[in-house]
Amino acid sequence: MGSNPRTAPAPMIVEDWDQLTFRVNREAYRSAEVFARERGWVWMHTWLYLGHETEIPNPNDFKARTLGGRPLIFCRDTAGEVHAFLNSCPHRGTVLCRENEGSTRLFQCFYHAWTFRNNGEVAAIPDAGAYESTDEFRASMGLRSVPRLEIHEGFVFISFDPDVPPLLEHLGDAADYMSMIEQQHVGGMTTLPGTQLYGVRGNWKLAVENAMDGYHFAPTHNTFVGYLRESGYAVTDDNQYAYNLGNGHGLLVLTGHGGRISMIWEPRFGEDERIRTDAHRAEMTQRLGEQRAHHVADESHILFVFPNLLLFDIEGLSIRQLEPVAPDQTDVRAWQLVPRNEDPETRALRMKTVVSFVGPGGLATPDDIEAYEAVQRGIQATAGSGLPELDFSDMSRGMADEVKGVQGRSIDEGAMRGFWRHWVDAIGLDDGIEVNGERPASFLSGRDVR
Amino acid sequence: MTAIDNRSSVECAGRTITRQEVEDFLYAEADLLDHWNYDGWLALFESGARYEIPTTDYRPGWSPHETGSFVDDDWPLLLARVKRLKSRKAHAENPHSRTHRLVSNVRLSAHTASVNSTNGTEHAESTEDCFRVAASFVVHRARDGRFDAYVGWYEHLLVPTEDGLRFRLRRSVLGHESLAAGARLSFIL
Ligand code: FES
Ligand SMILES: [Fe+2]
Repeated sequence: MGSNPRTAPAPMIVEDWDQLTFRVNREAYRSAEVFARERGWVWMHTWLYLGHETEIPNPNDFKARTLGGRPLIFCRDTAGEVHAFLNSCPHRGTVLCRENEGSTRLFQCFYHAWTFRNNGEVAAIPDAGAYESTDEFRASMGLRSVPRLEIHEGFVFISFDPDVPPLLEHLGDAADYMSMIEQQHVGGMTTLPGTQLYGVRGNWKLAVENAMDGYHFAPTHNTFVGYLRESGYAVTDDNQYAYNLGNGHGLLVLTGHGGRISMIWEPRFGEDERIRTDAHRAEMTQRLGEQRAHHVADESHILFVFPNLLLFDIEGLSIRQLEPVAPDQTDVRAWQLVPRNEDPETRALRMKTVVSFVGPGGLATPDDIEAYEAVQRGIQATAGSGLPELDFSDMSRGMADEVKGVQGRSIDEGAMRGFWRHWVDAIGLDDGIEVNGERPASFLSGRDVR
Repeated sequence: MTAIDNRSSVECAGRTITRQEVEDFLYAEADLLDHWNYDGWLALFESGARYEIPTTDYRPGWSPHETGSFVDDDWPLLLARVKRLKSRKAHAENPHSRTHRLVSNVRLSAHTASVNSTNGTEHAESTEDCFRVAASFVVHRARDGRFDAYVGWYEHLLVPTEDGLRFRLRRSVLGHESLAAGARLSFIL
């Protein structure tokens, strides 16, 4: 796809500390071969975000969900245990559960009527006597569980690789930011029905870059910034930082347009909400101590957990999951995470505020989607042009500060560089990255890790 | 619940409103939107009106104030949305989508709100100054060399005024299982 047969394939990333440039090969967004590598290497061998425990609160609840193109059943069995099964009949492979969600003790395949309990055991095989040594046969024919499943603060992750390191090791520094979310409200958080399901005509990595990119906020969201200004809120890019958390995870810390319901008040939320926010902030100090409460409450975060989870702790709190469908197409699923105990006025204000910004019908997200769909179309311009050196995107912003050991700003591209370095490792390409010059001491000491 | 409510008129605010009057209103609205006349469109709303699009997993009875949704605009947000769409900086709609709308299956009914009485029982109460309109829509949209279709139902509340009908609630409910790739809701559905 698009590569010139007369030239050797260029590396995916060229990082140059003499020129202070970081460039990403646009084949990374277009190539079917790269996409196949992502499916086979990244999605098969790392932890993937499956869903939140509160999506299946009761015994027998289930959701059908697809990860890495594989249909799965995410369910809670009759005894209350959380499972993820391949949604495929062990007999001949039929999709077993053809509802998107519901409650059931038994999953019955419609094809030959094999029936399974929601803990995976075979419940019934019609005319089982036709099989030899029926008991053993039966035991071998249970639902196929995904090899690994672990839960952190209600966020359920799975892996198709039995040998991945423990989830907390993979999450590393991202884990505590997920804990901060759970600690925002006494009584914890829960997901709500009303899931935003939509597709975009862009590579999944463009959605990750967009989320880690504060540089685009003012020009792309010009109309939303105008709306904030008119409602009495001054928008600034000062004192906002980007962090590479390691393992491909990234974090933006935002204060300049950080309004979020029940956490950081803005005039558009109204006087009643200001009073509630103040009371909530005081309660948090009591519960968590001043230092922790400050980290939890006084700044907004956009957290990316490699490879498919984004937590937007802005406006309200949205969980966004990315499911790559093709090199140029991604399915997006977004849930609203809300305090379990929240008074109806705050809840109503939160829902309105969140969707006014976030989602394909909001006043901001459509412009983000427009941006990365436009990238996907535009990068054809340099594909296979015979000038491979032109076929790169630039992500150097902030490297000049990086060599000086100055913390990267949210309007730099340091969090993206952290993502791409991990990605090129994760897809298992030899010579995927070319590093020219010496990486600075500040980089090697993990300066951009918070 | 009545099996089929397919009346040709409804009594509201001491007036008889016919289906033809409502159809003319909806056709005129579709024409305004297809011609990107957003000032004309906004004039079809009473002040304080709402615009809503629930998510595709929506079930009847869900409130956007308690669940996620695609659009949950109160009046100030609707004004902001229109202002944005009229700006050249609404990048998702610059250049504008080309849309073509078909409105059909129009049905009228009295607006009744479920009210809890003091004795704890629920009863239906008719609110006299507005009425319900159900209709089907198909919106075709061309942009970026692609062509998408959006299919669904309207669940509107309309108010008869001296200047004609006005929206109190304009709600578009999608019939899709999810929004197809590229089919975002950056224009008015
Ligand atoms: S394929 Fe499921 S019972 Fe035969
Ligand atoms: Fe954005």
